[in-house]
Amino acid sequence: MTNRLRVAAAVAAFAMLSSLTAFAQETKSKLDEVLARGHLVLGTGSTNAPWHFKSVDDKLQGFDVDMGHIIAKALFNDPEKIEFVNQSSDARIPNITTDKVDITCQFMTVTGERAQQIAFTIPYYREGVGLMLKADSKYADYAALKAAGSAVTISVLQNVYAESMVHAALPEAKVDQYESVDLIYQALESGRADAAATDQSSLAWYMTQNQGRYKDAGYGWNPQTYACGVKRGDQDWLNFVNTALHEAMTGVEFDFYAKSFKTWFGKDLTPPQIGFPVEYK
Amino acid sequence: MDIAHFLDILWLARIPILKGLGFTISISLLAICFGTLLGIFVGLALTYGVRPLRWIVRGYTDFIRGTPVLVLVLASYYVLSTIGLDLSPFQAGVLALAVFCSSHVGEIVRGALQAIPKGQTEAAKAIGLTFPQTFAYVLGPQALRQVLPAWVNTAAEMVKASTLLSIIGVAELLLRTQEIISRSFLSLEFYFFAGFLYFIINYAIERFGRYVERKTAIPS
Repeated sequence: MTNRLRVAAAVAAFAMLSSLTAFAQETKSKLDEVLARGHLVLGTGSTNAPWHFKSVDDKLQGFDVDMGHIIAKALFNDPEKIEFVNQSSDARIPNITTDKVDITCQFMTVTGERAQQIAFTIPYYREGVGLMLKADSKYADYAALKAAGSAVTISVLQNVYAESMVHAALPEAKVDQYESVDLIYQALESGRADAAATDQSSLAWYMTQNQGRYKDAGYGWNPQTYACGVKRGDQDWLNFVNTALHEAMTGVEFDFYAKSFKTWFGKDLTPPQIGFPVEYK
Repeated sequence: MDIAHFLDILWLARIPILKGLGFTISISLLAICFGTLLGIFVGLALTYGVRPLRWIVRGYTDFIRGTPVLVLVLASYYVLSTIGLDLSPFQAGVLALAVFCSSHVGEIVRGALQAIPKGQTEAAKAIGLTFPQTFAYVLGPQALRQVLPAWVNTAAEMVKASTLLSIIGVAELLLRTQEIISRSFLSLEFYFFAGFLYFIINYAIERFGRYVERKTAIPS
C-alpha cells in the first residue's frame, strides 16, 4: 500500500467511525444510557416533608423519593440503585435541561410554561389546599367554618396570593399570614387561629405525626398536578418512566405505591378494580 | 420554646450538623486559600503589570466584583458544563467562591502596595534587589500589615457566601439545618443555632487575623 493510499484509508475509516458514533448518539436513548450506567440519577430536594427529606439517620426519604425507587426497581429490579442529586426548587428545570439528572421528582406542579421547557411524565399525585382543625375544635368541618363567616381566623403561609386563596374557600374569614409552616401550626395550637390552611400533603403528614390531635375539615381546593420531569425529545425514556409510574398506580407495583401513600399521607388506597382497566372508566 | 425538646432533636441530628459544619469550613478554607493566592497575583498584576496585562486583569476584577456571588455560583455550575467542563456541585461552588475572593483580595493587595512610598522600591533597586526579592523582603511584609484587617473581612464574607452553595445542592451547614427543620418544625431554634455556629467560625477567623497582626506588628 502506498503512503497516500494508506492515508486515504485512514481518513475513510475515521469518517466512518465518526458517522457511526453520530448515528449511535442519535438513536441512543437515555434509557440505554441509564441501563449501561447501572444506576438512576434522580434529582430531588432534601428539605420538604413528606416529599423529600432526611430521616434521623440521614437517609433521603419521602413520596418523591419513593417514585424514584419505583423507577429504579423497573430499571434494575433493585429500588436502591439511585444516585440522588440534591437540588433546590429553582434548580429543578436547569438540572434537567443540562443533563445533571436523568429525571426529577420534586413536587413539581405541571404548568403549560414548564411543559415548554421539559417533558412531564404522567401525574403521581394531585395536590390541593386543605384546612386543618384541632381535634376538639368548636367547628366540626368546612361547612361550620364557612357558616361562622368573619368569626373565623385562618393561619396561612405568607404569600402574595395567600389572602385570595383562603377567601376562595372561606370568603369572609380573617386571614393571618405567617413566615413558616411551623408557625402556622403553632398559631392553630395556641388558639390564635381556628384553622390552618396549607397543602393537603403537608397537613396529612403533620396529622400522621401527631395522631389524634388534629382533624381535616374535609374540603380541598386549588388543585395542582405533581409529575416528574425529563428532558424533552427523548420519547423512549419518557415512555419507560410513564410505564413504571403507571404500573405503580394501577399494576404490579401497586402495593409499593399504596404503602408509600399510607406512610406519607396516612391514607389507605383501594386497589384498582380487577377486570376492565380503570383507565377507560 | 421547649429547651429539652430542642436539645433532644439537636442531639439526634448531631452527625448531619457536624458534617455540614465540616463542609462549610472546608469550602470556606479552600475558597479563601485559592482566592488569596490568586488574589495576590491579581494585585501584583494590577500594580506592576505591563499595560495590556493590567487592562485584562482590571476587566477581570471589575467584572467579578460587579457580579453577585449567587450568579457566579450558578454560572460555574451550569455554564461551565455546557462547554464540557462538568464540575461537581462542590467543585463548582469552591471555584465560584475562590474567583470572587480573588477579585476582592486583588483590590486589597493593590491598595496596600500602592500605599507604600515609592522610595522603598527605589531604595531596593539601588541596593541591587531583583523584583521578586524586592517583593519578598521590602514590599510584601509592609503590604501584609495593611492587608490583614481587610483580608479578615473578606474571609468572613466567604464563610457567609458559602451558604449560597445550598442552591446547587452542596450539603453545607445551612442546607443541613434546613433539612433538620423540615423534619422537626423547629425553625427559629435551629436557625439561631446555625447562626451561632457561623459566628464561631467567623470569630475564629478574626482571632487568627489578630494573631497574625500581632506577629507582624513593628515592635515599638
